[in-house]
Parts: sequence; structure tokens; C-alpha cells
Amino acid sequence: MLVTARFKERTLLLIASIYFLTGMGTIYLVRPVDNKGLFLTGVVVLVFAFFALSYLWQRLDFSGNQYLLPLVAIFSYTGLIFLYRLNQVYALRQFIWLLASLAIVAVITCFLRNYNFLADYKYIYAVLGIIGLVLPIFWGIEQGGAKSWLNLGLFQIQTSEFVKILLVLFLASFLAENRLILTKGTRNFYGFTLPGPQEWGPLVGMWAISLLLLIFQKDLGGALIYFSTFLAMVYVATARIIYTISGASLFLIGTALCYHYFEHIRWRIEVWLNPWPYADTVGYQVLQSLFAISAGGFTGTGLGNGYPNFIPAVHTDFIFAAITEEMGLLGGTGIIILYLLFFYCGFQLAVKAKDEFAALLASGLTALIGLQTFIIIAGVTKLLPLTGITLPFISYGGSSLLANFFILGLLLVVSQENSDRHRGY
Amino acid sequence: MVVNIQKLAYFLIGLFIVLIVYLFYLNLWQGPVLVNHPYNKRATVLEAKIQRGTIYDCHGIAIAKTVTQGGLKKRIYPQGEDFAPLIGFVSLRYGHTGLESVYNQELLGISKVSKLKNFINQLAQRPQLGNNLILTLDANLQHLARQLLNNRRGAIVALDPKTGAVLALASAPSYDPNTIDRLVDLGTGKKITEFELLKKDPAAPFLNRATQGAYPPGSAFKIITLAGALTYIPEVTQETYNCTGSLIIDGFRLTDHAVHGEVYFQRALAVSCNTYFARLGLALGQDKFYQNALSFGFNQNLGDEDKLWQEIYLPGKIPFPDQISKPELASSAIGQGQITVSPLQMALVAAGIANAGVIMKPYLLQEVQSLNGKSLEKNVPKKWKTAVTPIVARLVNESMQAVIECGTGRAAAIPGFKVAGKTGSAQNPQGKTHAWFVGFAPAESPRVVVAVVVEQKGAGGIIAAPIARELLRAALTNR
Repeated sequence: MLVTARFKERTLLLIASIYFLTGMGTIYLVRPVDNKGLFLTGVVVLVFAFFALSYLWQRLDFSGNQYLLPLVAIFSYTGLIFLYRLNQVYALRQFIWLLASLAIVAVITCFLRNYNFLADYKYIYAVLGIIGLVLPIFWGIEQGGAKSWLNLGLFQIQTSEFVKILLVLFLASFLAENRLILTKGTRNFYGFTLPGPQEWGPLVGMWAISLLLLIFQKDLGGALIYFSTFLAMVYVATARIIYTISGASLFLIGTALCYHYFEHIRWRIEVWLNPWPYADTVGYQVLQSLFAISAGGFTGTGLGNGYPNFIPAVHTDFIFAAITEEMGLLGGTGIIILYLLFFYCGFQLAVKAKDEFAALLASGLTALIGLQTFIIIAGVTKLLPLTGITLPFISYGGSSLLANFFILGLLLVVSQENSDRHRGY
Repeated sequence: MVVNIQKLAYFLIGLFIVLIVYLFYLNLWQGPVLVNHPYNKRATVLEAKIQRGTIYDCHGIAIAKTVTQGGLKKRIYPQGEDFAPLIGFVSLRYGHTGLESVYNQELLGISKVSKLKNFINQLAQRPQLGNNLILTLDANLQHLARQLLNNRRGAIVALDPKTGAVLALASAPSYDPNTIDRLVDLGTGKKITEFELLKKDPAAPFLNRATQGAYPPGSAFKIITLAGALTYIPEVTQETYNCTGSLIIDGFRLTDHAVHGEVYFQRALAVSCNTYFARLGLALGQDKFYQNALSFGFNQNLGDEDKLWQEIYLPGKIPFPDQISKPELASSAIGQGQITVSPLQMALVAAGIANAGVIMKPYLLQEVQSLNGKSLEKNVPKKWKTAVTPIVARLVNESMQAVIECGTGRAAAIPGFKVAGKTGSAQNPQGKTHAWFVGFAPAESPRVVVAVVVEQKGAGGIIAAPIARELLRAALTNR
């Protein structure tokens, strides 16, 4: 039993590795590298690192979900293949961030297996989260139009990426505690049962915080993710659609106000409605993205044969456009389907979770990744207004990668608790 | 809570299904539009990799070719200004215009014909090659046409009525397509490209007047009126008319430029009698007058399948029969009023008369050849439409010979050849009349048709007829 314990995971990892080696090999043929030794070492080390994690879990008798790691491996590999194709410098940095991220997952799955204590620190999350959001407003630097980076000398971190996790942790613990009151209400208000201010107060606070983010950090995407994740979790906890609807309306009202008072929001909406008049200025990026996506056709131009570098910031927010140009409609849809599999696993372990905190945590984290994926892909395809956020696990970006692997780690420990319970431990 | 999580999951899956459907829509539905969009730099980059084909005239003289200068590909036009309004230019900054744009796919070799060949070249890492175009145009004739226009605004068309092959298609003023991207100092320190400067030029050098000019035809239109009368009222050949120098229609007085006295149809065309042709127009009536103009190709494009003419040809325009009053009909019959024509349209009218009533479809592209000279596509002359019967065509032809022998077109006579033609001096709101001449030679078996217009330079018989003579002479002796 123990020998084959993580057999499924390793089979899938093997497939992912073949995918990775094929992709890297193709690019290597199309555009040879300067430093062959480094290239080869990097590829081998990364493939080895993923397998090592799987073996480590087997040794430690860790029984978490076996599909999540291979899926994330495919995403990371895809990201690395395309970064390597777009700009080798980014690929090298991403490689280092990936190793660090895998280390974080190893640490979480080894030392944080009993995660229940996490439910006790909800106000610490809130305070840390607010600090994380406010710091960049005063000491932050602006990148790509959003002022959400902190300069730490050696590298820069985007605090809002980590605040996302704090948000889900806070909401999971808060909602697990106050779920019943929020669902039933404590007082009667003209026939509606409403909870008291001590229960909904923190929720309205969330609304204010996300608007703050929108206005001061100019981070429309961040605000959208925060708020939609918040609504999703409130819905999961209370099943009261009225909260979701009124929350969504509040957000729309807030956005409408911002549309009137803040130019950068106005531009985003205008460009979304009709980018052609701004083809040389603010609409340039999204149009180049549309050109790239449509250039691919059904099967794509082939790896290394397209011109995704025409899109500014293609390695971060627009990497999906590059994937679709070179791997075509089939490749783009394939990536989306892989994400759907990831969310399926995430929600499945939320459903099987042993308590409400675990269920809320797992569904919140899954919803967070899901909504972020949807918002950025919809943005680069002009289905929604463009917002500068990353495609989880694929886009270039250290903060984003670390935060997303942190989420992976949390999902894995939740799944491990499940399977322990199902195995009768 | 399990149900809630499931509902959230369904919602999220729904979002992604919408996304996938939208992605398919974007790619397959909007894709073709986006791929060819001028803002899409992919097409330019692709083009830069391909050796663009050469455009030759009918004798193998290069009109446009791509050379490599210092490792950079450059499109050059050895004939300078001669062909510019027709051939256009290729510019990295401004894209392509004219024939360079119409036949872009052929020149790049990305049309169906050579796609496979280029795919193989790509696999073998050989340079991708475009195709050469061989045009029907004659560079010498074209150069002469431009010299004859001598920088006056106007246009000249010459074509072979038996096949429809266009021999010359000149428009003035022109510009130098070689220097379109060059920066010019306006003297104020501000620099703009020649393209921007030319775009602002009131003389409109980019306009291809030969195919897209909209001029009143003046008396040159009388050929059409005469053909209509001979078709619908054959007895006009028996009648004579006494021209008193003016005609009153519904209180509107139409004055002639002279009192021509007793005239019959041939004489009337020779002296260009306005009252005679106004009466013919009235005798035809609005409907037949309109019908007759349609049979010469007015209000119709030159075939929907032909991308060339769709892009660059402006057909003659004539108002619908219910939109013109009797006085307007009388003016229209002598080529004034609301009728407008391009020189190519008038050349086609003359070509119909010259070719026993049948107008051949005009064409510029003789052949598409691969770079090693293999023929990929060849034009076959096609009939476009039947304008009149051979009998009517012969009568009009004879009348047009009379114009040259003893009428307003004497300046177009060439010793040793019988020339047929018609002059026109079209009144226009801007000032002096536009000088027109349309004709062909040799009259008994026509080989070349010409149409000449010179803007606001006076009478057709004085200004345009000599130009036509020189052009016809050159075309007849060299071919």
C-alpha cells in the first residue's frame, strides 16, 4: 500500500514532465540558448523538484490530493515554456521563484498539517491585511499603472497577492463563527430578518477596503478579485442570494462613482467598450492581444512562430494571449479545461471537508484562483474590461507565484485531513 | 453548506464555458477581420520576410521592384512619377496603395496559387519569393502621355478595343513614389513626411483621375446620344434639321456656339451642333436615353469578381429617368447637367464603337509569373457588354471620322491613318472648360482607343485633340 501510495500523482507528473521537455526542446530548436549548461540544469532540476516533493510526501505518509500537484506542474511548465520563449531573463527568474514556491509547499505540508489553529487568529489576519494594503499606498512604487509594489531592495513584492490569502483566512474563520447568525438574522426589519451591526460590520468594511484598493492603488483587478471572492464566500456560508446581489450592486455603484471621478477607471471602461479610437494609446495593449489571439486560428502558429512580443506585458498579464497565438484555440481551451479540473478538485475537497472552517477555506481559496483566472482571461480577450492581474501559476511574477503555491499548500493540507478522516484515522 | 459550494462551483464552471464559447467566437468569427486589420503588425512583418515581386510593363520594363540596399529591402519605382497614381507605393509607415495594394497577395505569393510552394520554401529555410506581375501597360506610351499632359491637371487612357488591354493610364499631377517616406522641412523647423505634404495638396496627386475622376463629358457625350438615336429612332438618318443657334425647351433657352444651318446627323456630330443633339435627346425621351447610357456601362461597376476595378474604377453616373426634367434631358444629351464620367468610362464608350458595338472588359494584368518565369495566371480577353449593333457602330464610327476630316477634331488628324474621334469642351463651375477628346485609329480597323481630358484649359479641339494625335501616332507606329 505504502509503495504505491502516490502512484497516480507520479504518473501524472511524468506526463507533465514529458510535456515540459517537449515544449522546452521545441523552443530550443527554434531559438537556441546562449548558456546550454544552465538551461539543461534548470530543466532537470525543476522536473526533479516536482518528483522530489511527491517522494517526500510518500516518506512522510502525507495523504493529500494527488491531482493538484500535477495540474499545478502543468501550469508552471506552460508558464516557463512561454517565458523562456518570450524572454529568457524572465524564465530564469521564474525558475528560481518556482523552486522557492515548491519549498513553501513542502514546508506547509510538513509543518502545518494541523491547520485548525488558523481559525483562531481572524483579527490578526484583518490587521495584517490592512497593513499590507495600506503600506504600498504610502511607500509603494508604481508598476504597470498599479501602485501595489513594495521595494525590499533585493526584489519587489506585491503585497496585495498575499493579502488575498489573509482575506480568505479571515473570512473563513469569521464566517465559520458567525454563519448561523448571518443566515437567520437576529432582528426583524420590516419583515426581513437582518443580522446586527457587529456581524455585518466587518463585511461592509470589506467593501470599503476593496474600493480603497481600487482608488489608491489603481488596482481594478485586485479590487474585483477581493470583492467577488468575498461575495462567493458569504454566499457559501449563508446561501442568502440577497447578500450577493446587494454586494454586487454596491460594487457596481462604487465602480460607477469611480468612473466619474477617476480617469484611469474611465479609460479602462472606454477601451473595453470600443478600443479602436485608442488603438495607438490606451487601447493598444488589448488590441495587440486580440490580434495575437486571432492570429493563432485553430491550431496556433506553432511554438516560437508567432509574434506575441508585440503585446506589452505579455509575460505577466497577457501570457494567455501568447499561449493562444502559438498553441491556437485548442491550446487556449486546453489550458482553461485544466483550470476547470483544478477548481473541480478544490471544490470537491471543500465539499468533503470535516468542518465548516475547512470547507470555507477550501472553497474560498478555489473561488479566489477561479475568479482570478476568469477575470484575467476575460480581460485579455476583451470579454470584460482589462485589469492588470496575473494568470495563476502561469504568469511571470514572484509574489504571485509564491502566493498561489501557498494556496496550493493550504488546499493540500485540507485534502489530507479529509482523506485521513475517510481512511478512518 | 455542501449545496452552496456546489452551486458556486456550477456558477464558476458556467463562467468558464462562456469564456470558451467567446474564445471560439473571437478566433473563428472575428479572426479573419482582425488578421487583416491595418493596425495588425503581423502582416507587415510577414511581408518583410518575402521578396516582393516585380511589376513589369508589356515589354518587360520594370515599373516597381524590390532591391536590397545595405541589407534592407527597398521598393523602388524606376519610372518615377509616370505610374504613381495607378501603381501606388509600398511604405512601412503608410502601408500600400494602388495596384501594389490590389495585387498585394500576388506580389507576395501568398495567394492560393503559390501557398504550397512557399510553405516548402519555409521548411527548407529558403527565402520566400513573391510573384512578378506583367501588365498590359506600355511604359513608353505612359511616359509620352505624361509628357503630353505637361503637368496640367488631367488624365489620358489608351486601350486596345479588340481585347480590352489597357495600354496607358496616366493621371496628372503625380508624385514620386520613391520618396514618400522622406521627411521635408517646412521651413518652420517642423518636419513632416512627403506623404503628409502630398495629402494636403489641393491638386490631389494621389487621385487617379483616369479611373476615378468625375468630369462632365461635354460634347464627347454626343457619341452616346447619337448611338442611342440610331438604335431607337433609325429614321434620324433620313432627316435634316435647321440649326438657328438656339432652342427653347419648356421656357429654358439652350444656346449653341454657332448657327449651323441645315445639318444631318453626320454633319451635326462633325460640327458638334448642340441644338441638334438636344433635340435627339428629347426625341429619345428620359427612359430610352437612360437605357442607352446603361448599355455603354454607366452606373455599373466592371464586374463584381474583379477586385482591381472594384478598388479603382468609378463608372459614369447618370441620373435615373424619373429624376430629370425636359430641359435637363436636353442638356444631358450634349453632356452637360448631372452626368459625370471618368476618362476610362469614355474610353470604353469609344472602344464599343470601335469594336463593332462590343465593349471588351478592360484589364491591366496580363500575367502572373513566378520568379523563375513560370506562368501562374494569364488573362484571357472577355466580352463585357454589347453597347450597340454593328450597323449603329459603323454609322457612329463614320460620323466620328467626319469630326476629324471636316469638323472640330481636325487637330487629331494623322497623315496616313484614318482617325475617328469626338471633341468636348465641358462647362464646369470652376472656370474655363475641360478639354476632352475621345477617339480611335485606324478607323476602319481600330487598334488603339484614347480618351484625353485636360482640366480647365479650354476647347477640346485645340487642347485635347493634339495630345490624342501624338499618342495615337506613337501607339500605332510602335505596335
